[in-house]
Amino acid sequence: MHDKTWVPVANSTDLAPHHVFQGRLMGQELAIWRADDGHVNVWENRCLHRGVRLSIGINTGSELVCQYHGWRYANRNAGCTYIPAHPADAPARTICSKTWPVIETGGLIWTHFEDRDPPLPELPEGGAALRPLPLAAAPEMVRESLAGLAPEGFGPLDETLQARGPAGSLHLMVQPADAGRAVIRGIVQSDEPELALLRRLNLFLRSARDQILAQAALTPAPEPIPHRPERVSEELAEMPEMVSGPARLRVQVAKKELVAKDIVALELEPLRGALPASQPGAHIDVALPNGLLRQYSLVNAPGETGRYVIGVKREPESTGGSAAIHDSLAEGDLLAISEPRNNFTLRRDVEETILVAGGIGVTPLLSMAAALKDDGLPFRLHYFAGSEEQIAFGERLAALGDRLVNYIGLDPEKTALALKGILKSPAPHAQVYVCGPAPMLDVTRATAAEAGWPDAAVHFEYFANTREIDTSSSFRIELARSAVTLEVPAGRSILSVLQEAGVAPPSSCCQGACGTCMARVIEGEPDHQDVYLSEAEKAAGDKILTCVSRAKSDRLILDL
Amino acid sequence: MNTMTQPDPFMLNQWYPIASLQEILPGQPRATKLFGQRISYERNVAGALQVSDGSRALPVLEQYGCLWTSLGEPDELFDVPEYAEPDRRNVNAGSVGVQVSAQRGIENFLDMGHFPYVHTGILGALPHTEVKEYNVEMIRDGREIIATECLFYQPMASTVSTSGADVEYIYRVPHPTCSVLYKSSPMDEKRLDAIALFGQPTGEETFRGHMVLSILDDVNTDDFISYFQLHIFGQDKPILENQMPKRLPLDPRAETPIRADKTSIMYRRWLTGHGVTYGTIPAAA
Amino acid sequence: MIKLYDFDLSGNCYKVRLLLGILGLEFERKNVDFFPGFKHRAAEFLAVNPLGQLPVLEDGDLSLRDSHAILVYLASKYDGSGRWYPTGDAALLGEIQQWLSLAEGLTATASAARLAEGMDFDFDAEAARKGAYRLFDVLDEHLWFREREGSDWICAPAHPTIADLACFPYVMLSEEGGVSREDYPAIRRWTDRVKRIPGFSVMPGIFPAQLGS
Ligand SMILES: N[C@@H](CCC(=O)N[C@@H](CS)C(=O)NCC(=O)O)C(=O)O
Ligand code: FES
Ligand SMILES: [Fe+2]
Repeated sequence: MHDKTWVPVANSTDLAPHHVFQGRLMGQELAIWRADDGHVNVWENRCLHRGVRLSIGINTGSELVCQYHGWRYANRNAGCTYIPAHPADAPARTICSKTWPVIETGGLIWTHFEDRDPPLPELPEGGAALRPLPLAAAPEMVRESLAGLAPEGFGPLDETLQARGPAGSLHLMVQPADAGRAVIRGIVQSDEPELALLRRLNLFLRSARDQILAQAALTPAPEPIPHRPERVSEELAEMPEMVSGPARLRVQVAKKELVAKDIVALELEPLRGALPASQPGAHIDVALPNGLLRQYSLVNAPGETGRYVIGVKREPESTGGSAAIHDSLAEGDLLAISEPRNNFTLRRDVEETILVAGGIGVTPLLSMAAALKDDGLPFRLHYFAGSEEQIAFGERLAALGDRLVNYIGLDPEKTALALKGILKSPAPHAQVYVCGPAPMLDVTRATAAEAGWPDAAVHFEYFANTREIDTSSSFRIELARSAVTLEVPAGRSILSVLQEAGVAPPSSCCQGACGTCMARVIEGEPDHQDVYLSEAEKAAGDKILTCVSRAKSDRLILDL
Repeated sequence: MNTMTQPDPFMLNQWYPIASLQEILPGQPRATKLFGQRISYERNVAGALQVSDGSRALPVLEQYGCLWTSLGEPDELFDVPEYAEPDRRNVNAGSVGVQVSAQRGIENFLDMGHFPYVHTGILGALPHTEVKEYNVEMIRDGREIIATECLFYQPMASTVSTSGADVEYIYRVPHPTCSVLYKSSPMDEKRLDAIALFGQPTGEETFRGHMVLSILDDVNTDDFISYFQLHIFGQDKPILENQMPKRLPLDPRAETPIRADKTSIMYRRWLTGHGVTYGTIPAAA
Repeated sequence: MIKLYDFDLSGNCYKVRLLLGILGLEFERKNVDFFPGFKHRAAEFLAVNPLGQLPVLEDGDLSLRDSHAILVYLASKYDGSGRWYPTGDAALLGEIQQWLSLAEGLTATASAARLAEGMDFDFDAEAARKGAYRLFDVLDEHLWFREREGSDWICAPAHPTIADLACFPYVMLSEEGGVSREDYPAIRRWTDRVKRIPGFSVMPGIFPAQLGS
């Protein structure tokens, strides 16, 4: 239907701030929108959930929100970042709207459906885009009919629909919207006053359109190109659980910056393509040059999808993770990271959210705060830091205005007292999120429980499990699905025994903090040593983190 | 789109509503469409209803305030026992044409997740978006789908309520294009109001929704009850008319269900199981 | 108090509610069951408006039919800023009237197609759609060049007038009559702007510019 070229599908001026343009190319409907960072998104005009046109949704400047059930899709990567019907679940990262490549030049937005990028359109510098003119006629016919017409001052349009004359030069393009639909677009260069010229060319196109339509009426209208949307992946069709794959992403350190005493921020950009979507509270694994794997929370605000931002604190007794980043990592270096995973999901169906950060634990909460602010939901971020100079990400904090409360240099007693004040009155539609060093988390959880907060309303993320792991027990594990029995001797973890047998679940932090290696317990009594499961979950005894937890009974039956 | 596609046997052999009885005046013939076919109907001066497709007389049923007919050989129409309870108000709230398949319309009727976004301030309100776990099952030997214990936060759940609360719903799907929902009655805690959407597939990609209520309400006028129902349905319209494709896709991988969509998943499977092709896009074999 | 004989799903009634809301005026809504009751043809309403058409506005002793007449009245009487219906400039006044007439044309086309498809009115929907597309064409072209001239609105350069309110409803409800706005990007942008006018309100079939508001 067309040679391998980029095709104009909108004028730049069509993409007004916070607007969603409805377009069409070869029978495929497009939702085209510009984010506040200037990026132009060309997407399939269809929400993956129940097929509603995204062009009737809301462009928040950072995300596109579907009008039907409020699913949110991120700028650039088009990944679904939030499913309001299940506010406690992180959406599967693979829920991604279909996107196409985009360039913006000559006042037009161009895309294509080819496998590889065709050569860029050759356009003269500058010029003004014409008012586009849609018409119900076959695109080839429109192209043929336009060739030879001579708009006043420009001389006849050649085969490629270009014309040059005393008035300047004119370049028309025919966007094949569908088998029987086209849009005439164009760029004009001229010294004439622009508005009058655009009006004149609009009149010219209008009369050309009327001629073409008269001619098109003589032949039967072609059948529209059938709509053949891509199928969603198999696991999404059945679904809802989130699956974590071993996918490894390659990123480049675009910026490394000291953002507080002993804290560096890293901005990680993709080598090619877009980064997968992330949600507030998500973290990534970073494979460090010295072979270690470490978890860092993303600081990213909604729509900040061009790079991942993490904060890394130099830990004094560091096993090498933070030291390697602080000392040997440089801008321009490559890193291998995992896709974002989320064990610290932010609910947004609540009337009040309390965020409590201790030290570098502020990173996931910054991301949450930005999301809540975007949604216009009430929240407060309570930030405990050792000293003024240890306050990280000042600019992001400043954007929170009076929703930020700082607590500087409090001793453990005063910290406990402050926490008591913050958590004193549990409200039915409120939620608490805490992230920080283990002792502070323990105190916060205890304080919340005492004040009467239900377990389910208090969410926390330990960025490391600093408790001592007792590996002295030995026991047997039976794997119900794989029908094997394995021995776990003292000194070894369930996970490592599983790995050896080739039936291990995915794992990440290996310290009982991230929840990735969780397995279901069918029978037996777990000996929980993690900091991930809540007290209620531990008491229920039907889940276990296989990296650190063990068995009190002499055997465990696992659903593996 | 060819509006004269032949319906599959399951769709063909059903009763369909074609008019609200209150609108049929004696001696005034009227016409409508079913499966793209023109259907005329009239109440003669003797009071009898006659329905015809132009070449033959069609079966007639007067039930739930509607005139029902069929182009096939229908079994008995499903039962809505509440309609016969003497202390209820039975109201025909209106019949509205929508540019989408009847099955899309039914699926929207079964969906709670859109309340805060589409019926803002009435059937839902932000930020209360959660669809809590509920039950769905097949009953009556697979002839009906029922969803129970459906809870949703509503700021103003009906014409007589003034404040917000979790409201309980039950949904029944006893027919491929008809559904009845029950919700806690604000007038009598122990009883449920019934609200039905009866779909008349005028074509594959268009339908008329006949809204019938059987409720406990001795406060509001019929006009106001109808106003409220039309207001709600009017809010659904721009969503329904912007769904692509217009026919309901039955391939499980065509769209992305979540747990909140359990009823819709069962409904699509049920249509597939009965070989429904009219108004749907069946999964490729 | 101002009293509006009103039907929830009528675009012509909605344009009056829009201006009443924007001007912050209290009013009583008298629901006339246009559909499915056809009460606008009942004797009780014919006594109010012998044409049997909605809306009708009563303010004190004044009774006015015709939505555009009502917009002119409300803006002239209650809009202290004088912006919604500026009377000082002859050309502008003429232009406003010109677009009110186009809005009347939308009632005869886009609205008729909607009544035919949605409420089973006996109109020729196909002809109505054709007519609607012609008007949309004219409006889109006008708005595209208005944007080029630096104006967001149909008539006055710096602010909306009753012409914007008069054209908005049946443009926005057109899909119910099978009239797509896909080919009218300037119209689509303008409808977004109308939704952001302070005091804007919605009706069924029209979503607000912000989710859940
Ligand atoms: N020019 C009148 C037209 C009003 C009009 O068409 N109203 C419709 C409801 S939206 C109506 O009452 N139609 C009944 C009829 O025309 O008989 C106006 O703008 O108020
Ligand atoms: S259809 Fe888009 S969120 Fe459900
Ligand atoms: Fe709805």
